[in-house]
Amino acid sequence: MNTDELEQLLAQQPVALLHRLARGRVHRHFRAGKRRLIELLLQHSSQNRAGLESDLQTLIDGQQARSDAGSSRIRRAPAIVHKKASPRGAEPDSAETAVSLSTWLEGLGVPSPQPFVPDPWQSEALSALNETDVVISVPTGSGKTYVAVEAARRAMEDNRSVIYTSPLKALSNTKYTEFSRIFGPEKVGILTGDRQENGQAPLLIMTTEILRNLLYDAASGEIDVRLDTLGLVILDESQYLADPERGVVWEETIIFCPGQARLLLLSASIGNPQDIADWLTSIRSTVCRLVRHSKRTVPLRAGYLHPNGKLTPLFRTLGIPYGHPSQLHPEAKRLFLEYEEETLPAGRPRR
Amino acid sequence: MPPSIHPVDLITALRHKHLTPAIVFLTSRRACDEAMETFDHADLVLPPARQEAIAVALERVMTQHPSIAEHPLIPIVRRVGIAAHHAGHLPSWKIAIEELMRQGHLDAVFATTTLAAGVDFPARTVVITQSSIRKSRDFTDLTIGEVQQIAGRAGRRGKDHVGFAIVTPSPYIDLMVLTKGLTGQPEAIDSQFTISYPMVLNLLKAHPHEHIQGILAKSFAQFQLNQRAELLEQKLDALHAEMEPFGPRVCTDWITQWHTFDHARRHRHTRHQTHRSESPEISSKLPFLTPGRVVGLSRGRGIVLRQYRSKGQKNSMLTVLRPDNAVTECPVTSVKEVYDRTYDFAETPTYPWCSTETFDRLSHQLEELPPRLPVLPILVSTGIEPLPDAIVQSLGDFPCPTCSSRPACQKDFTTASRLRQEQQRHTKSIQALRTSLWHRFQERVEVLQKFGYLSPATQLTADGEWARLIRIDHSLLITELIRAEAFTGADPSLLAGVLASLAHDDDRPGAFPRISPGLSSLLGQVRKLAESLSPYEDPPLLRADVAALVERWVADPTLTWIGLCRLTTMAEGDIYRLLARTLEYLSQVQALKFTHPGLAESASHAITLIRRGVLEELP
Repeated sequence: MNTDELEQLLAQQPVALLHRLARGRVHRHFRAGKRRLIELLLQHSSQNRAGLESDLQTLIDGQQARSDAGSSRIRRAPAIVHKKASPRGAEPDSAETAVSLSTWLEGLGVPSPQPFVPDPWQSEALSALNETDVVISVPTGSGKTYVAVEAARRAMEDNRSVIYTSPLKALSNTKYTEFSRIFGPEKVGILTGDRQENGQAPLLIMTTEILRNLLYDAASGEIDVRLDTLGLVILDESQYLADPERGVVWEETIIFCPGQARLLLLSASIGNPQDIADWLTSIRSTVCRLVRHSKRTVPLRAGYLHPNGKLTPLFRTLGIPYGHPSQLHPEAKRLFLEYEEETLPAGRPRR
Repeated sequence: MPPSIHPVDLITALRHKHLTPAIVFLTSRRACDEAMETFDHADLVLPPARQEAIAVALERVMTQHPSIAEHPLIPIVRRVGIAAHHAGHLPSWKIAIEELMRQGHLDAVFATTTLAAGVDFPARTVVITQSSIRKSRDFTDLTIGEVQQIAGRAGRRGKDHVGFAIVTPSPYIDLMVLTKGLTGQPEAIDSQFTISYPMVLNLLKAHPHEHIQGILAKSFAQFQLNQRAELLEQKLDALHAEMEPFGPRVCTDWITQWHTFDHARRHRHTRHQTHRSESPEISSKLPFLTPGRVVGLSRGRGIVLRQYRSKGQKNSMLTVLRPDNAVTECPVTSVKEVYDRTYDFAETPTYPWCSTETFDRLSHQLEELPPRLPVLPILVSTGIEPLPDAIVQSLGDFPCPTCSSRPACQKDFTTASRLRQEQQRHTKSIQALRTSLWHRFQERVEVLQKFGYLSPATQLTADGEWARLIRIDHSLLITELIRAEAFTGADPSLLAGVLASLAHDDDRPGAFPRISPGLSSLLGQVRKLAESLSPYEDPPLLRADVAALVERWVADPTLTWIGLCRLTTMAEGDIYRLLARTLEYLSQVQALKFTHPGLAESASHAITLIRRGVLEELP
């Protein structure tokens, strides 16, 4: 066998076999591709050609023997190949356990209209509000507004006035329209920096800044009837407490909120609602009640849409695997890697 | 392959899988507008029945808000059932779109993430195309709370069994940020308490100075500071326990004692440093060994050509011209006599250190010298006795070298001193945490006293009484402007213009061609004052273009909204917000009607002038 023949024979072999052959012969052979590997093998064996040839022969024979051994093995072979082809990092049995697109899309549709039953946390918050201040931290879209409306209704039935604040003027306006529809326009007023309507109504909607100003005026001796009969202050979107520019307004409002009025803080999910409840407890006369839950009313599923229009689930599980960000669906993972490969400029390190 | 999915394909895919209605969050306003443009020629039209329904719903909204009738997006909304919704639009447009979305007429809305909090309508599906958000010029990764806020719009209660949050890649998306955001716990929020000038004035109006520390202690900021202080106190307690074995020994404060001793020991070597300085005899000669001096060496005489220091030599060196034109180098110590005779010559920086003629002249003169020369009487100053090294002297005073607990002290010193340092550090930071708010308050008080809003006894002065009513950003600048009577006699349009430039804190570019001379001189005055106040208050952007825009709107009652929008490159929604914020500032100035009736009059006049057209129609 001359060098050319040997090279041809090596080139015909699968690269896995070449790697086995290279063990002990080529340093860091796993780094090399097939062409380079053949080159290195030939280079190495220039002294001991016979040894390489005999080893190669045994390996080739062994492989043939295995493929001849039984047809059952052949049938399993594609499965193995498939596994190897799946993207790196995927757990061995990921293909089996990941949800399929059809299951993922199941349940899509409009539920039949059902009578509205308040969630347990909503009733809990409302009953707690009879005695004390309440902090609510629930995911977006869980029905915080229902609690606000019910609480306002109850307070107004007791002839106490209610102030509802939101951070944005746009939200105030939306709520004004909404509450006017629920309670009737004569019972609802709005005060924002540039709009004042029905300022003596029992339910006042305002931006938090306006409420802060009212409280300051009252503290400095100006008499405001609205604050004397105030029974409930609802602060919507209380997570604005952490806003770099405006967060201070929420703090001022809460500090100066009159003692006889209950506070209802509505907030999206935040990491430390207990801290806020503890804080309220420490500065107000009653022990503040925290109502929190992280379960969404309408369950959420995450998907991945490839630019070529292919849709797959994003995670291996049907719902969102909370606390396990790396449980990606193998298909989504493959497609995203492909996408990064194509779009990232060459040479940029992959994360 | 396109870097991100084409909007038309996106909508087709969503419709195909029945994932509409959807909110598609895009990076920028421009991305939203460009996405809308792609539908111009797409054949994605809705069935006629739905087009009809949208048209009817639009008609109904339009009766409430006539300003949207000419909106350029209306044909697409009507034909395709898709709309854009971002801060560049008028609120009326956004309300209309929200209304249509709530009624279920639209299939998709393109929105910006910046407004995720302000988007108050849910959909079945939310499409996320980015992992970062523009926050004051820079892009930062979305926080977990923000991702959940965005994804939370998916799934309408009572209308959907499940909601879908769909990620679609665009350049520079980081999938990890999004998956972490979807699966993670939202971040804890931190207090952002700041003490502003109006806050100080209002607090001091209502409460005596000594009560204020108690009020500040009620803030969430102090609550969180206390939490941190308590953590530190726990650590401090642990440190105390750790310090237990390092209590008093032979001396009570053995750590300090050992520290000083050790320090002295370590620094003793400075005393034994070899001195390079010459003996007094030599150093007293040095000033006389200047070029041209005749000196007597151990063998013969010579004329000094230069004096220098050489690296390898302990003493200063001389270059000497010797008889027979010999130039030699010798240390100063070899100079036996210094004669009272010098020759003047011009030195040169290179060998032979003087010009050739001079050299010849000098060697000639050297040979001509008489055999006896007067010797220069040089007084040797007896050097001052070196001071006894204080530290080394006191080393003898230390009890440590002979102390019985010396080995123990030496062994424990590193640990003990580290522990003690930590203790001191913690104590200091606890102190700072407990009192920092109060200190910041005091700083503000001092500034207000300096400007005369507060009396030295921290009572509100007459100026303070009205200044506390200005509770907006840049309040110090505004009250100082009022005190400087910058607005006296200014008509409503000028006042509105200046307040607009104070109120507008957005750096999105906008252009306005002409600025009236009155406004520009007033703005110059404001800018000068703002700069002089900059140590006490961050200066505002003071953009002249927005000031001119608002001035124009107030000054020219015949100007229509469309006309105003044509004057600038700013988006409609931005102009609206600018005017709305200006209204807010004006209403604060209007509150000064008892002390500054003329100014308040002018402000209220400006308010009525601003409220027309679109601003009147809108809520």
